[in-house]
Amino acid sequence: MEPPDGRSTDAAEDLARDGRPGAEDRPSSAPPDDLERRLADAEDGWRRAAADLDNARKRAARELEHARAAERARAASVFLPVVDGLADAVAYAKQVDDGLAEGINSIREQAVAALERLGYPRIDAVGVAFDPRIHEVVSVAEDREVPPRTVIAVTRLGFGDVEHLLRPAGVVVSAAEA
Amino acid sequence: MAKAVGIDLGTTNSVIAAWEGGEAKVIPNAEGARTTPSVVAFSDTGERLVGQLARRQAILNPKGTISSAKRFIGRNFDEIEDEAKAVGFDIVAGPNGEARFTVRGKLYAPEEISALILRKLADDAGKFLGEKVTEAVITVPAYFNDAQRTATKDAGRIAGLEVLRIINEPTAAALAYGMDKKEHETVLVFDLGGGTFDVSLLDVGDGVVEVRSTAGDTHLGGDDFDRRIVDHLADEFQKDTGIDLRQDAQALQRLFEAAEKAKVELSTVSQTQVSLPFITADATGPKHLTTTLKRSTFESITADLVERCLGPVRQAMQDGKVSENDIDEVILVGGSTRIPAVQALVRRLTGGKDPNMSVNPDEVVAVGAAIQAGVLKGEVGDVLLLDVTPLSLGVETRGGVMTKIIDRNTTIPARRSEVFSTAQDNQDSVEIVVLQGERERAADNRVLGRFNLTGIRPAPRGEPQVEVTFDIDANGILNVTARDKDTGAEQGITISGTTNLDQAEIERMVREAEQHRTEDARLREDIDARNELDAAAYRVERSLSERSESVPAHERSRAEMLIGQAREAVDRQVSATEARELTSELQQVEAALSVARAAESSPGNPAESGERDVDGVDADDVVDAEFDRG
Repeated sequence: MEPPDGRSTDAAEDLARDGRPGAEDRPSSAPPDDLERRLADAEDGWRRAAADLDNARKRAARELEHARAAERARAASVFLPVVDGLADAVAYAKQVDDGLAEGINSIREQAVAALERLGYPRIDAVGVAFDPRIHEVVSVAEDREVPPRTVIAVTRLGFGDVEHLLRPAGVVVSAAEA
Repeated sequence: MAKAVGIDLGTTNSVIAAWEGGEAKVIPNAEGARTTPSVVAFSDTGERLVGQLARRQAILNPKGTISSAKRFIGRNFDEIEDEAKAVGFDIVAGPNGEARFTVRGKLYAPEEISALILRKLADDAGKFLGEKVTEAVITVPAYFNDAQRTATKDAGRIAGLEVLRIINEPTAAALAYGMDKKEHETVLVFDLGGGTFDVSLLDVGDGVVEVRSTAGDTHLGGDDFDRRIVDHLADEFQKDTGIDLRQDAQALQRLFEAAEKAKVELSTVSQTQVSLPFITADATGPKHLTTTLKRSTFESITADLVERCLGPVRQAMQDGKVSENDIDEVILVGGSTRIPAVQALVRRLTGGKDPNMSVNPDEVVAVGAAIQAGVLKGEVGDVLLLDVTPLSLGVETRGGVMTKIIDRNTTIPARRSEVFSTAQDNQDSVEIVVLQGERERAADNRVLGRFNLTGIRPAPRGEPQVEVTFDIDANGILNVTARDKDTGAEQGITISGTTNLDQAEIERMVREAEQHRTEDARLREDIDARNELDAAAYRVERSLSERSESVPAHERSRAEMLIGQAREAVDRQVSATEARELTSELQQVEAALSVARAAESSPGNPAESGERDVDGVDADDVVDAEFDRG
């Protein structure tokens, strides 16, 4: 029975039962004229089972694809803190020693390139329009020089693309129009 | 046919599941995530964003980003004034005093916001499933009143969905565990989500679920636990360095991410490393946050949060007139129930009962809703109850091991064949011993029956092909046949009742196999290696006899010596390592012999191509295990 719109908290919920419909009307000693109908039922059931199997195969293939992508993303994301740490180290080293900064930066570059080879290109473009599919706003700045909603700076490197995003880039964006 | 789905429309996150292929499955969204943030944004450019995308632009557009719409759905403005102050967007009273969001001068009803979330979930699921989603079962908290339920149903309608039914979240959780099929039970559902805590007591049985009582805390959840870790780490850092990381937006973001990761890890390990190098710097140099967070520390800084769950549970038990002894089952819902201290509290309050948590607590409500949708559409009922083989079935092969033909838990009816060969030259019969069990050694398994296949034409060992077929019908009746592919001679046996074993007996056999797994594996390895050694010795011996005169004397004597050693090693039942060493020496000799032969024999030599064929078959169809002489 379909309940009316909305129901009170303490009302019992009648759940539909999962009895097999038509299970009772399959007598064990069927009259002969029933044979045709039962044969049709059996054939229908068999066709359904075969179709189910075919669909299960297709679904399994699709799920495998999905599982592969998810596992690759999981494995790749383990390295994100390493990339971030190296980026911070470079930023600091620049204030201290150019040679050191250059050296650490080339290690960082290798780490970034490794992620790119896994299929996650870096997202670091500045001056482009903000795109929530690949960018995450970290802060907003007033900047009259650029159009509203433009990426002014990338504070944290992003990886991937619209289709396969590993992590959005953390960005500073020019304010939206009021 | 259009799909019916179940949707858990949550305060912070939503999940959609569908009945597919005989089970309820969570469907990932377009971004590939199994949960979707319940957030909607209206940008200044007129764009509408839903889910993770809306969340990412929240800082840019705080007034246009609406979260927690569920807290306002079906409510009057005067009921939610306090809640309204806690959010970043504007809430006003509508024409009839109902709560409305204002974005850029336009009024939105909470149900319109929820509808956008439902629409995204249904659209993404439709794309994933390859068929349009038109009907849904949507869940609501047990304490929702008529107005809130009606508004949720309206949200579904606005989203273009036919709402098959609105069901309570705890009811959906009980359905996911199949508890509606129980006779009569009292179930406690403990739901600690991202931002809300609900506890419900249910009476279930005979397809009816009744909510006896509910209680909760509308502002308690996983986010509070994260916040505590952030504060703890920031306080310690400030003590050491004098710098407050909470003042630095970027550092704070990294701190929150690290805190959440630490929280998740502390659910499985007793301590974890938090490492944020170069998090900040001052005149004295760079500052690193590197520390170990112990589970005991985490528990002491969140003890009061866990204790806050206590009151509502007691309240619900008191209102439902239920004591801890009356509770038959406990179900955990919400990601925060993975926290060991929370689980310990639940055990303490329910008389030490082990809670149900085998279904992912983030997804259990959506899974239950999908089951309800499947039942309402008559899909769940259509599933045939399929039987499985409780234990593996196979035959005894050379060396007294069991070679499995049908693995345990294979759905029946099933039919599998494998081709075996003889172990001796001119062997004229094979004995087929039908075994059931999980152990490697034939003698450790049950013998279901045995028979002989006779009349095999004399041939060198390994050449005859005996196809053994196991066929179990839907009633568990097993037919085993062995057929000589050469003569067509066939023998068979019928064994009934392979599936109706006593459950305790099955468990005992599986457990024993588990206990002996390592030694059984070693035993199997040894026997396989010795069989290989024996086969290698045999092949070298045959090559020698085939080309008796052309083999140089020193090569012949070395080969004969190795054959003797191999035979002796097999008799001595040496270990796999020793057997493999000898096998590889024999293989070298074999290779040398065949190179020599290739050089001297003309192409198309019948003897040569004949042997190749056998080898080819060996690699493809013939299992590398041979029958003992019957």
